[in-house]
Amino acid sequence: MNYDVIIIGSGVTGSAIARELSRYKLKIAVLDKASELPSGASRANSSMIHGGFDDEPGTVKSKFCVAGNKLWHKLKDELDVHLDECGSYVCAFNDKEAKHLEELLAQGKANGVPGVEIISGDKLREKEPKASVEIIAGLYAPEAAIINNFEAVNALIESAKINGAELFLETLVTGLLFDDEKNIRGVSTNKGEFLAPVVINAGGVHAGEIASWAGDTSFKIIPTKGEYFLLDRTTQGFIHSFLFSCPSKAGKGVTVLQTAEGNLMAGPTATEQEDPEDRSTTPEGLAEVLKGARRLVPDFPINLNITTFAGVRANTESGDFEISVLKNPRGFVNVAGIKSPGFTSAPAIAEHIAGLLKEELADRIKLTPNEKFIPTRKNIPRFLYLNMEERQELAKNDPAYAQIVCRCETVTEGQVLEAIRRGARTVTAVKMMTRAGTGRCQGGFCCPRVVEILSRELNIPLDEITRHGGESKLLVGKTKEFLLNK
Amino acid sequence: MSENLIEKKFICVSCPLGCGLTVVINDKQEVLSVTGNSCPRGAAYAKTEVKDPRRVFASTVRVKGGRLPVCPIRSKTPAPKNKLKEIAKAVAALNVKAPVKIGQVLIHNVCGTDVDIVASRDLS
Amino acid sequence: MTNKKIDVLIIGAGPAGVAAGIGAKKQGAENVVVLERDWDLGGILQQCIHPGFGLRTFREELTGPEYMHRFIQEAHEAGVEFRTNTMVFQIETQPPLSKGRGTAYGGGVVPVKVWTMNKERGIECLEPGAIVLTMGCRERPLGAIRIPGSRPAGIYTAGTAQRFVNMEGYMPGKKAVILGSGDIGLIMARRMIWEGAEVEGVYEVMSWPGGLRRNIAQCLDDYGIPFHLQTTVTKIHGQDRLEGVTVAKVDEKMKPIEGTERFVECDTLLLAIGLIPENELSRMAGIEIHPVTGGPVVNDLLQTSNPAVFAAGNVVIVYDLVDNVSDEGLIAGTNAAKFAAGKLSPEQKRIPVKGGQNVRLFSPQFVTGESDTIIYMRVTHPIEQACKVTAEPGLYTQKLRYARPGEMNEARIKASMIKANPDLKEIVIDVLPL
Repeated sequence: MNYDVIIIGSGVTGSAIARELSRYKLKIAVLDKASELPSGASRANSSMIHGGFDDEPGTVKSKFCVAGNKLWHKLKDELDVHLDECGSYVCAFNDKEAKHLEELLAQGKANGVPGVEIISGDKLREKEPKASVEIIAGLYAPEAAIINNFEAVNALIESAKINGAELFLETLVTGLLFDDEKNIRGVSTNKGEFLAPVVINAGGVHAGEIASWAGDTSFKIIPTKGEYFLLDRTTQGFIHSFLFSCPSKAGKGVTVLQTAEGNLMAGPTATEQEDPEDRSTTPEGLAEVLKGARRLVPDFPINLNITTFAGVRANTESGDFEISVLKNPRGFVNVAGIKSPGFTSAPAIAEHIAGLLKEELADRIKLTPNEKFIPTRKNIPRFLYLNMEERQELAKNDPAYAQIVCRCETVTEGQVLEAIRRGARTVTAVKMMTRAGTGRCQGGFCCPRVVEILSRELNIPLDEITRHGGESKLLVGKTKEFLLNK
Repeated sequence: MSENLIEKKFICVSCPLGCGLTVVINDKQEVLSVTGNSCPRGAAYAKTEVKDPRRVFASTVRVKGGRLPVCPIRSKTPAPKNKLKEIAKAVAALNVKAPVKIGQVLIHNVCGTDVDIVASRDLS
Repeated sequence: MTNKKIDVLIIGAGPAGVAAGIGAKKQGAENVVVLERDWDLGGILQQCIHPGFGLRTFREELTGPEYMHRFIQEAHEAGVEFRTNTMVFQIETQPPLSKGRGTAYGGGVVPVKVWTMNKERGIECLEPGAIVLTMGCRERPLGAIRIPGSRPAGIYTAGTAQRFVNMEGYMPGKKAVILGSGDIGLIMARRMIWEGAEVEGVYEVMSWPGGLRRNIAQCLDDYGIPFHLQTTVTKIHGQDRLEGVTVAKVDEKMKPIEGTERFVECDTLLLAIGLIPENELSRMAGIEIHPVTGGPVVNDLLQTSNPAVFAAGNVVIVYDLVDNVSDEGLIAGTNAAKFAAGKLSPEQKRIPVKGGQNVRLFSPQFVTGESDTIIYMRVTHPIEQACKVTAEPGLYTQKLRYARPGEMNEARIKASMIKANPDLKEIVIDVLPL
């Protein structure tokens, strides 16, 4: 299969690049080993669109974070994505931390972050009454926001697909292909070869390994686990925005936030590990998160916890993003080490990559604007958020919208069917695209129903349906046959 | 207590109370006494449990053309405990056609136990 | 489709809802409608295919579907209308009307709007004279107990697994570990064995079983399934499908004891770690929810904080026996019909019930003395010796051979005793060793 460009990895970075490049007349292939999107760090993160004061002026991160923040405020309408423009607070508990806020303020101003200011602890508690009484000051960033990260990644890749990009899931890149001059010719995968003169490495925690195949060992990815608690949506309004601890060398510390859907959430830890795929939570990690959450919000209602999860971020030794076009082999682009504020930065990185391709790889790829580019994309209707007239209209036109599948999040069969139409093949894919199963019963009610619908619509037996692809089958055979064959 | 008397302990499963029963039997497997029960059913249970332990078997059978792919069934009366495995296999091998009526006998005298397997719901 | 006025609207056609329908019709309500989200009536009992239901009501042990069959037949004969595949997704209420507004309690005023959806009927708004909440309960999920580890396929609540096995005809796994000893977990242990799977063991964090003794006897002991008290799952292993769990003994504070960890290979983890009343709709309706039971605060008429809204069954408090659920449904349906007809006096007594020693939760929380009533309760700690349930001052005493958290206790209060004591300020219930 011949393409103009291959993007390895369809996390937020890969998807944003795919969408940005779909503004041009290019044949784009996006390859991801997962069965549903988002899967890696783009699924399990704080879902924060950062203000941009955290990053030292002059770093690559600082440039993209502020620009990315602006772009998301625009993209939310174009791509029909939930963005809660709630602002964020960095909380100082003592004079030393208060002094640190001054540094962050200066940094924010240098980075061009609009509206950042330091407020008193009392003023902070006026906005966030559950915040600790021991907080003496806060750095407020009004442009910080919280995004529905499941929706955002799917929106980006869907928009790219609308404009001609092709997505290949369950496609694991196993090596690079080189031409006679030792330049990039494509990639080999478990699904065969994909050929293109340009390969973009947005491989997340695996980006270091992929770069090494191109002979680039200039950076190393340090998989860094972050663990989280997610609480019931009845906690909505417990806090309204995003509370940071004062950042340290180890990272931004434990934060407490309200997700775009209204769940209270706390995390992450930052634990370096060898295995890039180990997303298990640990007693120590969860204890650390709880301690950190209670420091910020003493009444943190942990009894309303509905799930714990962990993501693995692609940290680097430099702590900065590793974005480069290799001189040798020609045609290989690294977009690596995209850790926090990666989600925020992704749209800005994508624009930058388009520029890099024009400037540095013009001999291999030609970026001719696609006049038919459609910037907008509509989300699957969100029944929960519609008014009664809209709901009635939807149900009248399609009775599947008059059948609830997920009772916790009020997701209708119509939404599940639409997700399947848009490519969902696993229970987790349906969850990512509709939120069925994200609520307080964590799929206890809707999982059997989603499995039934997937089986019926895809015309495959129930025991072939997986939770998240691979060997994650939910059922192991029919009851009576199981006993008789024993 | 003479040395050829044996004491056995059971939890009565006749009702949700779950009384702890103590049964004294002689070497002929005859029940000499039952204690710990709150009602006559407990005493009766203890006696059967010593000689011929029985349980109600409840499972499903495969159904063709029904609203559900399986229909719940039960043994109409308690079946010998040592035959349950065999009964499970006999029930698993069965295929019935919808509609099924509650109480409908699906297997007469299952595995020679004199116990019938009946449907425990209507299934259209 | 008719637009006739609904007198009593009942949400959920499980045991409580079907009984409520019967109660409302018998009380003389004309139009009694029960809404059910599933295609079939009976609620969760349709998947509870094991015997053990209805001994008290029918003098024989029925399976769940058999028990419901009898009630559903009676409801049909009584003229109850059922609407299946119909889900309530929103309830709007006016604030409870004050007595001063006269007709508020007596009839005519519509206190609630109930939004329903159904594939044929679309989205509708119903405005009944009274409603009965009978949504039942749900199982506590894994997140509620925060076990560290990965999130592979193969972890189910026991009830979800029960649905797969008994309704869909599919096996959730080949070798199961069961966490928690609630009755559904014990029942599923035996069910998995009967379908040819293995059950490695049942693990319970407490020092006493969550379910009934007889289920430990007939579901575990009969099949040699080990039952481990004061032991819990501390880690989940496996990326795609569950590969095993780590189990460990716990100390008195329920903290895992170092050095007691053991890896158990399994492809399935079934959770039977408790049930929670399902009250999303009740909350939407602005009804006061009790912080301990998790269900609506009710009086003995099963009237909630909104006088037009009644509640019964596991949505109020999780019962052990379906017979109790049906009894309560009948009471709620009867009183809802009285309310809709303007026959329920607004001038009721409202004597608060207080949980005294060793009472963890109870319902109802208020007593009117309009009729004889039962206060259902659970103890906090087991008492493995002779003890007694009392309702003070001097309203009830009953001796017990033991009291266990897994088995509900009752205090029966006679209306005549309430009427005989006009100065009664509160009722205190205790469960104490003799």
